[in-house]
Amino acid sequence: MGIWRRLRNVGFWTLCGLAALAIAAPALWVLYTVFHQSLPVIGWRLLTHNTNAGGLKNAILGTLWLLFGVLVLAGIVGVGSGIYLAEFAPRGIGQVARFFSDVLAGMPSIVLGYVAYITLVVQAGWGYSYLAGVIALSVLVLPYIVKTTEVALRQVPTALREGAAGLGMTERIILWKIVLPPALPGIMSGVIVALAISTGELAPLLFTVGFTDNNPSLALTHQQVPYLTSVIFTNLQLPDPQAQYLSAAAGAMSLLLLVILILIGRLITARSVKATRRMAL
Amino acid sequence: MSPTVNLSTGERRPLLRPGTSEVAPTADDIVLSTQHVSFFYGDVQALSDISLDVHRQEITALIGPSGCGKTTFLRCLNRLNDMVPRTRLEGQVLFDGEDLYAKSVRPIDIRRRIGMVFQRANPFPKSIYENVAIAPRANGQRGNLDDLVEESLRRAALWDEVKDKLKSSAFDLSGGQQQRLCIARAIAVEPEVLLMDEPASALDPVATQAIEDLMQDLKRDYTIVIVTHNMQQAARTSDRTAFFTVDQRPEGRVGVLVEYDDTNTIFTNPKDPRTEDYVTGRFG
Amino acid sequence: MTSFHLKATPADSAPLPQRQGARARRALSRVDPMRVVLGALALIPTLVLAFLVYKIFSEAWPAIRFNGWSFFTTKTFTMGNLYGSALEHRNGQVAAGGAQYGVLAFVLGTLLSSLIALLVAVPVAVGGAILLGEKLPAVLQAPLGVFLELLAGIPSVVFGLWGVYSFGPWLSRSVYAPISHLGLPWLSAGVSSNGQGLLTSGLVLAVMIVPIIASITRELVRSVPGNTREGAAALGLTSAESVRVVTLPFIHRGIVAASVLGLARALGETIAVLIISGNALNTYPVSLFAPFSTMASTIAAMLDSALTDSTGMAVHSLAEVGLVLVSITLVVNFAGRYIARSLGTNVPIGRGA
Repeated sequence: MGIWRRLRNVGFWTLCGLAALAIAAPALWVLYTVFHQSLPVIGWRLLTHNTNAGGLKNAILGTLWLLFGVLVLAGIVGVGSGIYLAEFAPRGIGQVARFFSDVLAGMPSIVLGYVAYITLVVQAGWGYSYLAGVIALSVLVLPYIVKTTEVALRQVPTALREGAAGLGMTERIILWKIVLPPALPGIMSGVIVALAISTGELAPLLFTVGFTDNNPSLALTHQQVPYLTSVIFTNLQLPDPQAQYLSAAAGAMSLLLLVILILIGRLITARSVKATRRMAL
Repeated sequence: MSPTVNLSTGERRPLLRPGTSEVAPTADDIVLSTQHVSFFYGDVQALSDISLDVHRQEITALIGPSGCGKTTFLRCLNRLNDMVPRTRLEGQVLFDGEDLYAKSVRPIDIRRRIGMVFQRANPFPKSIYENVAIAPRANGQRGNLDDLVEESLRRAALWDEVKDKLKSSAFDLSGGQQQRLCIARAIAVEPEVLLMDEPASALDPVATQAIEDLMQDLKRDYTIVIVTHNMQQAARTSDRTAFFTVDQRPEGRVGVLVEYDDTNTIFTNPKDPRTEDYVTGRFG
Repeated sequence: MTSFHLKATPADSAPLPQRQGARARRALSRVDPMRVVLGALALIPTLVLAFLVYKIFSEAWPAIRFNGWSFFTTKTFTMGNLYGSALEHRNGQVAAGGAQYGVLAFVLGTLLSSLIALLVAVPVAVGGAILLGEKLPAVLQAPLGVFLELLAGIPSVVFGLWGVYSFGPWLSRSVYAPISHLGLPWLSAGVSSNGQGLLTSGLVLAVMIVPIIASITRELVRSVPGNTREGAAALGLTSAESVRVVTLPFIHRGIVAASVLGLARALGETIAVLIISGNALNTYPVSLFAPFSTMASTIAAMLDSALTDSTGMAVHSLAEVGLVLVSITLVVNFAGRYIARSLGTNVPIGRGA
């Protein structure tokens, strides 16, 4: 092999190595910044006190409460419409619904925030509220859940559906007893990743849920809800160093939440891989 | 567990003795009758003008070269093709004299009475027990299904092999065992007819033999329609044989029925030269 | 007639004894309510999209009338004197006195920052993904997947925090300041101490979209059949040549699709840019280092104060900005889909913004 070819080979892989480094380094730098910046305030106080007393308790509770709402709303609508598209939709309707769902996925989140604000907060008169935020966030992650649900169901072999139909089972029973169980892990991890995405989206919430130093209430409307990314954003702009530390601590907390959600999603997927492999017909 | 019970009405029919070619067929003797059936996938015609009677408690074999529409025809008999979008059937399929494709007939009722075993074993990703019990339970049977499961597995000649591991996954079974499990699963619904789509094509000779023995056994209670690539299998197991082939037409390749007769006649004294070419191995 | 030995049809083809009432009920209940419910749910994304488009358009309509074509030729975006009594009348619409709305500077900012992000992110993501996909041992592939998934999920406000606390100040001190002394065009004016500006935003956007492009590319690299790679090796190709001959032809369509996804995300990104852009108003960016604004960041920055405009024209004009942003994002999405499809692949789903 000529020296020139060998040099080119080494050069190519060196460039690729630098690129890989350029993927990892900023990410690690981000993590370092967030955790380093939050060191002065890290402690149990974050979990036991509210934001007006140097803690994050209300913001954590509010974030979980918002996620729960998204889980219910986007979960039901997204999984339901994914099931319809995978199992029942006539070809034409399916193509149209799929196309528009993809277009919805490309909507800039600030536009969702704007419309949710004008429609729900102002025109419907809900004020800054839980429900307005949950709806805005749900619209954001809906296309993702629809898609992952549909993909998970399409991986269930047709032979299982035909086998069940050949036994005279109704389409409802085929769906619930035969098709959904093996697809469930894929659907669930899709929903969880969608929740993980929604923890990071601030733009739709900025103008829909507001903020409060109190714990979140159960009221659907007219009560503002505290949440982590708002603390990051607001405190970031304050001159007080303590506020800035809390901003970083809220960042660390939302990263922790992200890690937990993604690991849960991965765990579910890993546990189902064995079963799916054996089912490959 | 008698197949002579009409499932939709609960009415008992007299047990017929196995039909043979010497006995003149009566209306009662014919379970399934297709009349000028043509079938289309979208604009593509797959079957043309198939008329064929299936006799009670016989094994009817459908043979023919690949792509001749045997499987498509079989799937018309329990309306499984309904699940395929943009398909269309012309002509009539009569089941015990009733139009299978009438508006008032629900496909699921048909499929409970006309069971199906597929080319490749397709057990559900559940336990052996659940595979057999799930359909009867889903179809409304309540209470303890242990007896039904055992009886079905016995009839499928699988009980002795699995009775100690009913709770283990169906995927732990060998291919042949899985196929017999699928037969047990079909029997548990108590159908009158069993449609078998090349049930042994993916199996080794020993497992194939087991399935063929089982078919002879099942013939006493059920009417069986089997699609097979294997002419020896058709000759060995069936009472009647239908030979399908592909007709080259200007508009495309269409499956047609060439000849339908006693298995003996088809293999020893066929009337159509195309049948003769096929069964003597000069074609296909 | 192809069937022989056709037996007579059963003379008594009377239907099976079946109760007529039951039949009628069956016919009525043929449509499973479950199917109806699921079908209704499946309509929701489409209805929501229709509502969003309708709403943003109807909100923008008064502004479209008021601003006319000058909206696209003006760089100034000012709400005018919200507390004065003088009003601006134009085309039957009313705005605060001195109000002038133009989207040009924001469009330019959005396109430039996203372009910088794409130019930086694509080579980095593809190069890194090829190395990781081809050379990383199989045991490490799954953890790497989780890592990339995590990176893609980091809240954009956290990137904003990093940009304004660490990355921006470092860039300003170590990169921008020395270069700006050289007095090169586009590379001198407008350096701020925490680095807020066009290039910083583009680079942070690049960091944000790299995981998206890299994770898709890595999956593609891993899907290249091993035997084609072995075939290349058997011909005596070096591993770099094998990448060019075997891997790239397999994955280049997917890279186009992934880049479109990344670009769409960069175009719509709001919060990170809002924090790092410096929010320059009424001006084009004077250099790569200078503050600027994007359409998305402007909507977020101004919505609050726009609400105090009693004529409502400020809010409507922000909707018009949103309408332009949506149009550009959709055009990019469709163009990307069209390109990807003509190359024989599909754009994978993902959050566009």
